Amino acid sequence: MQMESKKKLWRGFMLFMAVMLIMTYVSRMVYVSRMPRVKWRTPTSASIRNQVTAEGTVEAVNAQAVIGLDGLLVEKVCVAAGDRMEAGTVLYEVNTEDLLAQLAQLNAQEEAWQKQEQAKRRDAATNAARAQEDYDTTVIELDRKIAEETKKLEELMEDLETHMFRIPEEDASDEIWIAWADERLRFDREIAEKKRMIEDAQLEKEKLLRQADRNIEDAKRARSAAEGNLDLGASGVGQVRERQERIALLTELSENEGRVAAKSAGDVLEVMMQSGMRMGSSAVLRYADDAGSRIFHTVITQEQKPFVHTGDTVRLTFPGSAEEVSETIDSIVQENGGYTVTIRLAQGVAQGRTEGVMEVNSTSEIYDFVVPLKALYNDGSNAIYVLEEKEGILGTEMSVRSMTVRLLDKNEDYAAIADELLSGDLKVVTECDRELKNGMAVKVWE
Amino acid sequence: MGNRRKAPAWAARMRSRWRKQKMAWLAAGICAAAAVLICMPLLMIPGGSLMDGAEMNHILSPILGEGKGFAVWHLIPVYPTMAHFYGLLIESPAFYQLFWNTVGMTAAILAGQLVVGLPSAWAFAAFRFRGRDFLFGLYVVLMLLPFQVMLLPQYIVLQKLHLYNHPAAVILPAIFSTFPVFIMYRGFTQIDAEILEAARLDGAGELQIFIRIGLPLGKMGIQAAMVLSFLEYWNLVEQPMAFLEEQAAWPLSLYLPQIGIGQAGFAFALAVVVLIPALFVFALGQDALEEGIAYIGVKT
Repeated sequence: MQMESKKKLWRGFMLFMAVMLIMTYVSRMVYVSRMPRVKWRTPTSASIRNQVTAEGTVEAVNAQAVIGLDGLLVEKVCVAAGDRMEAGTVLYEVNTEDLLAQLAQLNAQEEAWQKQEQAKRRDAATNAARAQEDYDTTVIELDRKIAEETKKLEELMEDLETHMFRIPEEDASDEIWIAWADERLRFDREIAEKKRMIEDAQLEKEKLLRQADRNIEDAKRARSAAEGNLDLGASGVGQVRERQERIALLTELSENEGRVAAKSAGDVLEVMMQSGMRMGSSAVLRYADDAGSRIFHTVITQEQKPFVHTGDTVRLTFPGSAEEVSETIDSIVQENGGYTVTIRLAQGVAQGRTEGVMEVNSTSEIYDFVVPLKALYNDGSNAIYVLEEKEGILGTEMSVRSMTVRLLDKNEDYAAIADELLSGDLKVVTECDRELKNGMAVKVWE
Repeated sequence: MGNRRKAPAWAARMRSRWRKQKMAWLAAGICAAAAVLICMPLLMIPGGSLMDGAEMNHILSPILGEGKGFAVWHLIPVYPTMAHFYGLLIESPAFYQLFWNTVGMTAAILAGQLVVGLPSAWAFAAFRFRGRDFLFGLYVVLMLLPFQVMLLPQYIVLQKLHLYNHPAAVILPAIFSTFPVFIMYRGFTQIDAEILEAARLDGAGELQIFIRIGLPLGKMGIQAAMVLSFLEYWNLVEQPMAFLEEQAAWPLSLYLPQIGIGQAGFAFALAVVVLIPALFVFALGQDALEEGIAYIGVKT
């Protein structure tokens, strides 16, 4: 072969080797650039501190209601649900023309009724006075009659006594004795008659007095009834009282130019009226009174449930407020795939709040192997990737090996794991910049 | 039966020449057919390296048991692609690792053979000493022994020397191989003994004779030994497989078995690239190689 050809071959061969050398670096760079980068740490012995945070709502235990003024026309609604109200805050205004018209009508009714009642009272008083007069007259007449009969009886008794002194002699004739005896019998009869008459008169007096007493009593009762409106009956009195109260209410309202104000501070929960509506006797507004207690409700997930128990002390905060309280969970009820947690708040807590955040902290026992939660992945069962050296064609490389583990406990950041092959020296992959597969070569993320 | 008339001499010569020519054509045809058959695997390599994976799988499906009939190879791919070369040259640093391992291992062996084998061959060719024939006979016997026979003794020795699983486990036995000594010896024996005697008479030292006369005149034998050694050790399989556990020390020849049947295209691309240095060396040492093979012929 010619020397020139050999030189060319040598140059070609050298060029080939040079290209291979360059491509060696290129392929290495490509390989490394595609290699996942991982961070690792060894498992530590620690306890798992679980923190469950859940947003919830604050509700009044007994919401207060503002009852509408039946029949009045709403002119303007001044508050909306969620508004804060203080004592004196105007809740709504009624139509003043309508208000005054109703008030005038009620006043007229009241006035007519008052007149009627006054007449009734007058009649009753007259009847009572008459009954008293009749009573007095009857008493006088009967007393006089009894006194007359008593006087006659006393006279007869004196005549009888005189007659007894004029007893005939023992030797008087029978005719004398018979005449004297007859006379005496006549006296006895008359005296007995008089006594009976007196008794009858007394009985008559008692009877008449009783009747007169009754009449007086009836008259007095009638007068009392007239004065006390007892003749109206319970419903009647109620109506009168209701009318009078309504008059008082409407009067006060008219003095306030139709503005209805809150009597106490609280939070408006619901408004059931609107301008132009004529109110009924039902509630037109519901509010949570500051003086009343509140309930916090929240829903936790199935995963959070193991860390939250009835009786646990929780920390409650309220968005937009620096208020922070510790309360106790009253109940946990399973509902619709979740668990509703109810906490009864102390009086005065969470005033003016409709939302809150519950935070529960629980600390587990100490586990032997605790790794960051992000080190754990699920490929049907819980597993971690362990970083280890692997001898391969490229020499000693770092690679990952999948290891199935049992999950004992976890929180948002850490997981407690267990397995017979676990040791404290294992390098557990905690972070990687791309998806890992078992046996994959990786680069340690410095 | 009457007397048969004899054909003229020129006609007999013509017939004889025609018969010889026919035989020559027939032999050439048979050789050409055999050459094509032998070269078929080589012809399949470029096509396979450019073949799309799906096409490759379709062709190989009867072999893989997924199809019926016979595998029909496409010398020219239907869907040619450079994907396998891209995968090999850009995305496979392991290939380069093993490539340079092979380069290093082969270079070390060739250099070692020059250092150890060249003086040995010169000694056998230039000097007459007691036990020379026995020693040379021993070399020939060692050359004829297959690797499988030497495997266990070599393994024991390498273990004792703590060279197991080290590139030296492959390099050292190869350095002391007797085959290149034999080739180089044959090259040196082509030098006329009178030339060496004349040089001695002229006062030249033995080292001077070796360098000034032996090396230039035995150049073809040395080159032939180097080319043959290169071709042998570039494709070394058994020794690294037996003595090297650490993959990072493997030569390229062990990379192919790592490639699955599903990556046949990749394997073909690898074969193409692996073939290139061998082709260069073959082209550079073709003259010497022919002469070396002639020396082997002399041996046989």
